[in-house]
Amino acid sequence: MSMAKTFRGGIHVPESKNTKDFAICEFPSPKVVSIPMQQHIGAPATPLVKKGDSVKIGQVIGRFDSGLSCPVHASVSGVVKDVEMRPSYTGFGKTAHVIIENDFKDEISEEVKPFDGDIYNASIEEVTEKVKEAGISGMGGAAFPTYAKISSAVGKASDIIINCAECEPYITANHRLMLEEPETIINGAKILKNALKVDSVIFAVEANKKDAAKVLSENIGDEKGLKVVILKTKYPQGDERQLIFALKGVELPAGKLPADVGCVIFNAETASAVYKAMKTGMPLVKRVVTVDGDALSEPKNIRVPIGTSYEDIFNFCGGVKENIGRIISGGPMMGNAQWSYDSVVMKNTSAILALSEKEEKKKSEGNCIHCGKCVSVCPMHLMPNYLAAFSKVDNKEMCEKFNILSCVECGCCTYICPGRVPIVQHIRNTKAQINAQRKKMAASAAEKM
Amino acid sequence: MTDNIQTRKFLKMSASPHINSPINTRIIMLDVIIALLPILVWSIYVFGIRTLWITLISVASCVVFEYIYRKILKKSNTVGDLSAVVTGMLLAYSLPSTVPLWMPALGAFFAIVIVKQLYGGIGKNILNPALAARVFLFISFSKELSTYAVPHSSDVVAGATPLALLQKGTIPETGLFDMFLGDMTGCIGEISVTLILLGGIYLIARKVITWHIPVSFIATVALLTLVFPAQNAPNVSFMLYELCSGGLMLGAVFMATDYATSPVTKAGRLIYGIGCGLITVFIRYFGYPEGVSFAILIMNLFTLALDKITAPVKFGGGNKIGEKK
Repeated sequence: MSMAKTFRGGIHVPESKNTKDFAICEFPSPKVVSIPMQQHIGAPATPLVKKGDSVKIGQVIGRFDSGLSCPVHASVSGVVKDVEMRPSYTGFGKTAHVIIENDFKDEISEEVKPFDGDIYNASIEEVTEKVKEAGISGMGGAAFPTYAKISSAVGKASDIIINCAECEPYITANHRLMLEEPETIINGAKILKNALKVDSVIFAVEANKKDAAKVLSENIGDEKGLKVVILKTKYPQGDERQLIFALKGVELPAGKLPADVGCVIFNAETASAVYKAMKTGMPLVKRVVTVDGDALSEPKNIRVPIGTSYEDIFNFCGGVKENIGRIISGGPMMGNAQWSYDSVVMKNTSAILALSEKEEKKKSEGNCIHCGKCVSVCPMHLMPNYLAAFSKVDNKEMCEKFNILSCVECGCCTYICPGRVPIVQHIRNTKAQINAQRKKMAASAAEKM
Repeated sequence: MTDNIQTRKFLKMSASPHINSPINTRIIMLDVIIALLPILVWSIYVFGIRTLWITLISVASCVVFEYIYRKILKKSNTVGDLSAVVTGMLLAYSLPSTVPLWMPALGAFFAIVIVKQLYGGIGKNILNPALAARVFLFISFSKELSTYAVPHSSDVVAGATPLALLQKGTIPETGLFDMFLGDMTGCIGEISVTLILLGGIYLIARKVITWHIPVSFIATVALLTLVFPAQNAPNVSFMLYELCSGGLMLGAVFMATDYATSPVTKAGRLIYGIGCGLITVFIRYFGYPEGVSFAILIMNLFTLALDKITAPVKFGGGNKIGEKK
């Protein structure tokens, strides 16, 4: 057997895939959902409903049509209780939330219509339109609007990569989906393949999910152009740059899109959502979420309506334990800590983790001992130790010389650092400042013109 | 036990990543101590119990000086990271067992306060503290630092180490096997090549160090002494004696690999090791009988420059660090 494909750098994290044998279970319809108008990269959607309106499942409740954005749909049927501004899940700024009280009638909107015709012969325009109307955005975490990604690949991509790496610890949502509904992922990939007129679809699966790879292979059968490739289990294998490198041996230059090197990448569940939107017309109103963490009583994989609160989910999973320290939306490497149980499931919420506080006692930042471990694990081949040191003294010029803007913030450096220096946190801070500065300069330059 | 969620409305925030590798500085230093301990036991067997006292005084002084310094300057206490213990052991290892008992304490003061803490503490020093202290003592008290105990005896011998003979092109009387095993005269920690190499293998296996510095350092010395033996000495045995003598092995495995004072890149480490080897042989041929300490200290000064010139090319190509776009 040949060596599993991989990339240079990265880390081996304890996998903690405790839920890999837990079948996806349907989450009981919640009493209330709070649906954020921004769950995607781009402009927030404008709410189309107001207090007192009746809505049905799949009905558009928010959209913004000029520029990059994604429509948002009701995930339950009922009455709009309120439209209010709440803090966004990243902690920065506020987002409008449409709050719907469930009437438990589960009525489906008349707007929900399957694609009229053969879904495997749909044109690129038809697929793009349907995907856009279904409000699909990247479900692996990045939340880039899928219709825009498809458009960017037209005429450029020669390979579709279905990202089934799921390299973050704990998360098994994609793993379970591959085992339980492999045909939806494969059919979604086939729709995209035909629409984009490409010859090759690669399902990239990490070696710790060989059972899922087998199921995918069996379901693909002898379908031409579709194949499953096993990748070494290593974080961040699911990062699109590392994925392309592992599969094609090409380093995607900074500032370029995967389409520029002939690839377009979709998350496994995103592909499944594309299929469902085409087949049934149902937009993205539910997703699979792994609920886990050492401070959670009953870890589960659940299929849950968008907008369901963490409080409802934790209660469904037996509650959290006394020693809870943080709750994380997403994986422990790149997920966002949440400040309240009022946080809700969004289109890109692949996991919700309740982590205990047992970690090392909180102490002041440690010292860099210049061991070089961060340099050897950095998948972008940067020198994180120097970036952190220059960031600490606010030397942006040196940071830029040391290529700080190439950092993808995967967190390998902070994870591995024996001195407990919050390396990526320092880098992130400086990156944000540099980007803000550039934006300001560009804006003032535009003004002068 | 489950928590009532309503009573815990607000949660702790933190920026990702939310998990850390269990390996911290303390565990790394503990690994170095483990790798160093067998060498001490062997040395006590060869030179007697005085070896232990020297080592204990050195370690205790390093820890105490670090504690007091940080206390006086109201800085966080870093004694727990065990790096002062490692410095204390390495300092003692680079001294003969015959030195007066106050000498390791003086060396510890120099190592910890002047070389390490005045520059900001762990990771910030530009010279290896133990080596700088050894050289400080060597220059100040060269007679005491050149007086060695004779193995398994209470006699002392001044200056006549194998290296002093090798410099004149004479192959020492001690058998090569005894040299490799460590049954010879010398400093506390430098005599047993076998145990030092085992310690090195342990550290590489535990991923505390990489192979680059020790291998390039030792290989450079081996190549040079093989090609250019002193006077008319026979090539191969001259080379082997050079490798087993003095502080080369201790320096290559434990001193030159000190994190703070060696490069972080693989290429940088290779160049650094080659530089150490070149300077060592140069000094051994044309200066003092022993050149390892000076060689490493000189290369310490190149660490930042080596990091910079060997900086990896970023993923996706583009300009190298420092280059204008």
